[in-house]
Amino acid sequence: MNKFFRLYMPFTRAGIQSTLMYSINIIFFSLSELLYCFVMYYVWLAVFDASDGQNFMGFDMQDMVLYLFMTNVTAYLTMSQADSAIAEEIKDGSIAMRLLKPVDYHISILFKDIANPIILFFMVFLPMTVCVEIYRGVTAGMIMFQPLNCLLYLLSGIIAYLVSFYLNMCFGFLAFYVTNLWGVSMFKKILLKFLSGAAIPLAFMPAALKNILAFLPFSSLSYTPVMIYMGKYTGAELLLNVGLQVFWLIALIVLCKLIWNRAIRRLCVQGG
Amino acid sequence: MKRILKIYFRLLSQNIKMLMEYRIDFLTGAFSFIIDQVVGIGFIFIIFSQIPELAGYTLDQIVFIYGFSLIPKGLDHMFTDNLWSVGYFIVQKGDFDKYLTRPINPLFHIIAEKFQIDAAGELIMGIILVCISAGSAGVVFTPLSVVLLIVAIIFASLIYTSIKLGTAALAFWIKVSGQVTQVFYMTNEFAKYPTTIYSDFIRTVITYIVPFAFTGYYPCVYLFTGENPLFNIGGVVIVSSVLMMIALTIWNRGLKAYESAGS
Repeated sequence: MNKFFRLYMPFTRAGIQSTLMYSINIIFFSLSELLYCFVMYYVWLAVFDASDGQNFMGFDMQDMVLYLFMTNVTAYLTMSQADSAIAEEIKDGSIAMRLLKPVDYHISILFKDIANPIILFFMVFLPMTVCVEIYRGVTAGMIMFQPLNCLLYLLSGIIAYLVSFYLNMCFGFLAFYVTNLWGVSMFKKILLKFLSGAAIPLAFMPAALKNILAFLPFSSLSYTPVMIYMGKYTGAELLLNVGLQVFWLIALIVLCKLIWNRAIRRLCVQGG
Repeated sequence: MKRILKIYFRLLSQNIKMLMEYRIDFLTGAFSFIIDQVVGIGFIFIIFSQIPELAGYTLDQIVFIYGFSLIPKGLDHMFTDNLWSVGYFIVQKGDFDKYLTRPINPLFHIIAEKFQIDAAGELIMGIILVCISAGSAGVVFTPLSVVLLIVAIIFASLIYTSIKLGTAALAFWIKVSGQVTQVFYMTNEFAKYPTTIYSDFIRTVITYIVPFAFTGYYPCVYLFTGENPLFNIGGVVIVSSVLMMIALTIWNRGLKAYESAGS
């Protein structure tokens, strides 16, 4: 175990260093995401203003604010760049260097990629959550923060990140077959935004669609952790949903290995 | 002028050839932009399944504003997309030298170099939404209002271009300015809804500082009510012209300050 970490930790360290070099990008990117949240905040304010009750399909304004900001920060936190990392290595041939090393390909990519959520956790998640909790505390007049839910959220969030990582790995392997990934990755990004419930909360969708989307692996990415944080999942429902996350994680790991075993035989590096 | 047009169409045809090379890729790209807008509209429909009006506007009017705001956005996206590259990597990699050695205006060259067909997704969607919602949104088309609509769309597109141009030009001093453009550009999200839902502070910002409110809501108010054309349409022209002058000034100063980062 010790040897394992000694072997792979340098990948994480390198990842953290290279991500920190671009910390200014992270700040600007978060700012523009935040702008979007504020637009939606005002839209919801107007919606609650127009609806007579305090309730919109089971959500009140506080829930909505929490959902909005937490979903965005969670989607950002669990975002994996494994696909573009792999695609680039395949395109420029540097994948050969990684294959020559006595390390597992998938795990070494994972340990490098994990630098992203680690940094985002401190730079974006903590300040944002504190602000949201202050907002909730002030509007409700009491402390709304639930330490247990937050802990469970983090656990579910880690699984969410791993699901996202393996999903992106599978996607990145497309680069073995397709040379230009721009359009496809745009498509993936937009589809994921919808399927994961980041664009429209799954709770607001027609029942049939909602049930399908809740079962697919995409709801594991941000919807499940956020529902846990909000305290909407408890008891059996909580276990069921986390279990579903674990199920998809295992399924994706298996799929990823299968694709890899097939695709690696096709690899042909030109020049170097 | 004839020469400029000739060069433009030459570069355009090169671009189309390039797109044909990756046909599937660009079709998927354009298709994804359409899906994105369909989801956005789906969200509006879900909201209106629960409430009759949003800030005093009906579903059709909100859809009209949403669709209208996509048209200038799509036009700008289609023709001036290369400005993003200036801020993200052209200056940083030292590639900008190339444009300075050519016997045409470097700004024209940058813009003519890329034709972004994916923007068709936004553009088509915007036109469809405007067409299907116009009647029930209370828009009356008269010769005058059609002319003003076209004027508003052209100048509104230039608001997008100016914001990209002014912020991309910062790269001449700071090498990479793409993120600055991104933050300013993202403000356009505010243009998709009536400005009356925002706080006074935000409304002032999106009217006078990053004036995206003129790319959607204000011209639509004129089309709905016929009120205040001086502000709602005239405002677009004035704000857009002022912004373009500022952006060009920054760009020209930047050109003078530019030092190659080449390797």
